[in-house]
Amino acid sequence: MNQTILQFLKRYDFSFIGSMTAIFIVGVLNLYSATHSQSHEGIDTLYKSQIVWFLVATGVAILISFLNPKTIERFAYVAYIGTLFLVFLVLLMGKVGMGAQRWLILGPVRMQPSEFMKMGLVLALARFFTKVYPERELGFKELIFPGLITMIPAVLVIVQPDLGTGMLLLFIFAMMIFYKRLKWRTIMTLGIISVVSGVLMYNFGLKEYQRKRIHTFIDPYEDAKGSGYNAIQSEIAIGSGRLFGKGFKNSSQASLNYLPENHTDFVFAIFNEEHGFFGSVFLIILYLVFFMRLVWLASSVQRFFDSVLVVGIMSIFFWHAFINMSMVSGLLPIVGIPLPLMSYGGSSMLTFGVGVGIATSISNTRNFFN
Amino acid sequence: MFGEEELVKIHKDRATLISYIITAAFGLVLSRLWYLQVYKGETLHNYSIQNRLRKEVVWAPRGLIYSRDDQLLVDNIPRFDTILTPQFLIEREVTLKKLAGILGMEVSSIEATLKKNSNQATYRPIIIKKNISFEELAKIESQNAELPGVSVDTFISREYRDKEVGAHLLGYISEISQIQLPKLRERDRMDYRLGDFIGQFGIEEQLDRYLRGENGHEFVEVDARGRRKRYINTDNLFKGIEDEKPLSGMNVKLTIDRDMQNAAYEALEGRVGGVISIDVETGQVLAMVSRPSFDPSQFSRGLSPEYWRSLVNNKQHPLRDRNIQEHFSPGSTFKAITGIAAFETGSVDERFEVNCGGSFRLGNRVYHCWKKEGHGATSIVKAVRESCNVYFQKAAMRMDIDDIAKAAQDFGLGSRTGISLPREVGGNIPTKEWKRKRFGQEWQPGETLSCAIGQSYVLASTIQLATAYAAIANGGKIFRPYVVKDIYDTQGELVKTFTPELLHETKMKNPKTLALIREGLFQVMNNPKGTAFARRGPGIMMAGKTGTSQVRSASADKVYQKCDLMDYESRHHGLFVGFAPYDNPKIATAVIIEHGCSGSGAAAPVAEKVVTQYMKKYQPEMYLANLEKDKAIKDNWVQSLKATAPAKPKVQETPPDAAE
Repeated sequence: MNQTILQFLKRYDFSFIGSMTAIFIVGVLNLYSATHSQSHEGIDTLYKSQIVWFLVATGVAILISFLNPKTIERFAYVAYIGTLFLVFLVLLMGKVGMGAQRWLILGPVRMQPSEFMKMGLVLALARFFTKVYPERELGFKELIFPGLITMIPAVLVIVQPDLGTGMLLLFIFAMMIFYKRLKWRTIMTLGIISVVSGVLMYNFGLKEYQRKRIHTFIDPYEDAKGSGYNAIQSEIAIGSGRLFGKGFKNSSQASLNYLPENHTDFVFAIFNEEHGFFGSVFLIILYLVFFMRLVWLASSVQRFFDSVLVVGIMSIFFWHAFINMSMVSGLLPIVGIPLPLMSYGGSSMLTFGVGVGIATSISNTRNFFN
Repeated sequence: MFGEEELVKIHKDRATLISYIITAAFGLVLSRLWYLQVYKGETLHNYSIQNRLRKEVVWAPRGLIYSRDDQLLVDNIPRFDTILTPQFLIEREVTLKKLAGILGMEVSSIEATLKKNSNQATYRPIIIKKNISFEELAKIESQNAELPGVSVDTFISREYRDKEVGAHLLGYISEISQIQLPKLRERDRMDYRLGDFIGQFGIEEQLDRYLRGENGHEFVEVDARGRRKRYINTDNLFKGIEDEKPLSGMNVKLTIDRDMQNAAYEALEGRVGGVISIDVETGQVLAMVSRPSFDPSQFSRGLSPEYWRSLVNNKQHPLRDRNIQEHFSPGSTFKAITGIAAFETGSVDERFEVNCGGSFRLGNRVYHCWKKEGHGATSIVKAVRESCNVYFQKAAMRMDIDDIAKAAQDFGLGSRTGISLPREVGGNIPTKEWKRKRFGQEWQPGETLSCAIGQSYVLASTIQLATAYAAIANGGKIFRPYVVKDIYDTQGELVKTFTPELLHETKMKNPKTLALIREGLFQVMNNPKGTAFARRGPGIMMAGKTGTSQVRSASADKVYQKCDLMDYESRHHGLFVGFAPYDNPKIATAVIIEHGCSGSGAAAPVAEKVVTQYMKKYQPEMYLANLEKDKAIKDNWVQSLKATAPAKPKVQETPPDAAE
């Protein structure tokens, strides 16, 4: 009996839950630091709910890790349609309630279905690529159907309006088709077409007011001038950290409230201010370990579905992390994309738990056969 | 066909590429961080210490409010506050002592203010003293160098030109409190901040979204001592950052006449009550004043706790608008409605006569007329003129209470007029069904008698009474009263204009009904036997009705007790409602004087003054013509006095004060 448990534990892959926990600990300390000062009345206890969310997410991850990947494959489309329905529901209720709506309120729980949509999309695409022409390289013709699977939720999310998450769905799709051997020729053609048409559209196809509308569409909650100010304050926060940072709980930018949303989108800036360049190197290495481990898993499993799914899961978190860090440090315009495990947010944490659970389940199955 | 494992293997090259992409992406982020933290680290670190650039709100000037005759009623004036930024307080004690000297304050009270705000960020300025004088302003500005952290903030304060006049109508703006903040955010779906000013009463509240405009922001550079420098765009770090000018609020033109407001306010001097005048053919409110009042400017200057307490603890409730926020028994002013009901239902006609002996018995209760010796033979015109209780009660006995209720509702009594001002109250018009629901009891015939003379369950407000009498004057049309005429944007372009809204029109079945009631109302003021003959006022040709509203129901032995001998709280309310001029009605006016004892003595004079002001200003020709007519009436009266009582003309001008 004892031996079985021991054998089970030996095969059980802790690396994913392990790195999740490591990043979370850094994240929750940082969240505490960002919100502890008195000027953040009302949000100074957020870190406690973040801990609760993490425990819930870990529980979900462990539960899912016991599932057989085959079961997950069987329910892939169901998950896709279910999350799509939720996104649709939000849109419907948002229409009724007038104005933008990203939240679905079920009793005491507020959730953001567009968050779960990412996982639904990854599952559906993984299943599609496994069942339909699994060995063929992808050209334009093969992209039509998976393109549709992606565009439907993307459009629904974009009209919420949440352009950030909508674009994210497209990025995830891009990374998955790249893995599924999209032909180089097609990549080149797609790249040229999108760059040229984008530039042409922006410069000639749009009137000034439409261009302005696109700017505000990117982030309707922040006027362009205001967000320019936020970006600069964020850069000041990061830069002022220099090599070693100002130390834990010493962020002046955060405590003085110069940064907006410092518990969600701008946590990375606070982290940089307090822990400097070396702190960031450490944090980025943690993320890198996690992502690399997933990429390694993707090419060492026996089933193709598992492989594509792991790449999909990895791309969700990779894009989040990359876009968030880039926008906070001024490489990209500011769109509301949170940093996984660092930003406050229950839905995002749950998605992470689900992803880690699936990865663990896949990894365990692989170990079982080895 | 590949096996599953082969499939994974042939994709391995792409997996490797993906791992390169990821590494490159984070490499890019790290190099950006290196650029910010190492290459520009020193510069940005200095910025963060001084935090020189700050985004500050520029308040939008609030829209102005004008009267119908284009006189400015509500203006904006600059106000100066002394502020202190703790972050820049270097020599705390020296600075505070100096500041206290300039402002004439105790150091300890400044310390207390600082302590109260110690939980907020130290870069946030704290207001030490609001509304400082020019002298204090000059001292602070000139000693700026010795007062690090101290500065003066300019603020736009709301100025109500006529202070307490019409304060209830204009309302006030005040800071959003901690308690209000979440509720208001929810209500308006606006991102209000603590300390934002918002209209919280009257027009200021009702039209807040037009008046408030949109705040702008500017970027201010602050030096190490907290002094503001206007931001100059020299550093490339802040390139592309622009200020945003505030958008002024819209200007509002009211239907209110400023001179009538002032006349009304003066007429109410020393009284507790309200007066409202409306245009008979449109429902435009021309005057609307309530006393005691308050100074709305105080609210936008930061209300002192003493002033607030004095308002709240005042037993006469200065914050309550007597015209729309209070209802009471309309008393004898309701008799016009009972009369209309009696004629329209065909229960009585003009030949119907009652012999008033001063009282009559129904069941085991005796109903008194206000005139102990009785009015003798009385028909409709005389009954209105002399306010005979017995006539209207006998007429009511021929009807059902629901008949009277129908007429009252047709004339807009007992329910909100829907004027676009906050917190209007309704009232009550009793019906049989109402009593069943309210008390679970059947209606008693005796109750009809009390209601017929506007007592017991009948409740209405002056705005409703004025609307009802306007309808008597205009032939049964009920217009929704309104106070806002036009809204203009800052360029003077008309944004919105308000037009009369006909709510209800009662078609009279009996063509004589209104003519007889109007004749009675005219005689009230213009026949020597009328209850308000002495208050007719030259040149206005007013027709109206006095009334008293019993505060406590009088027992039989006290019916004829002198009202002004009672203690203040028990005295009757005095009422008057009327329209003018009689032959070409333009304006309807209702007055309530709380505990004023008599309608003719307390309320009618107020109406007379307001209406006289109206006639002189808006109908000067009619006014002059009416002066002639009035002279004739007066001459006739003097003649008749000489004829009937040549020896000693003793005329009781004002009837006794009991129940008119």
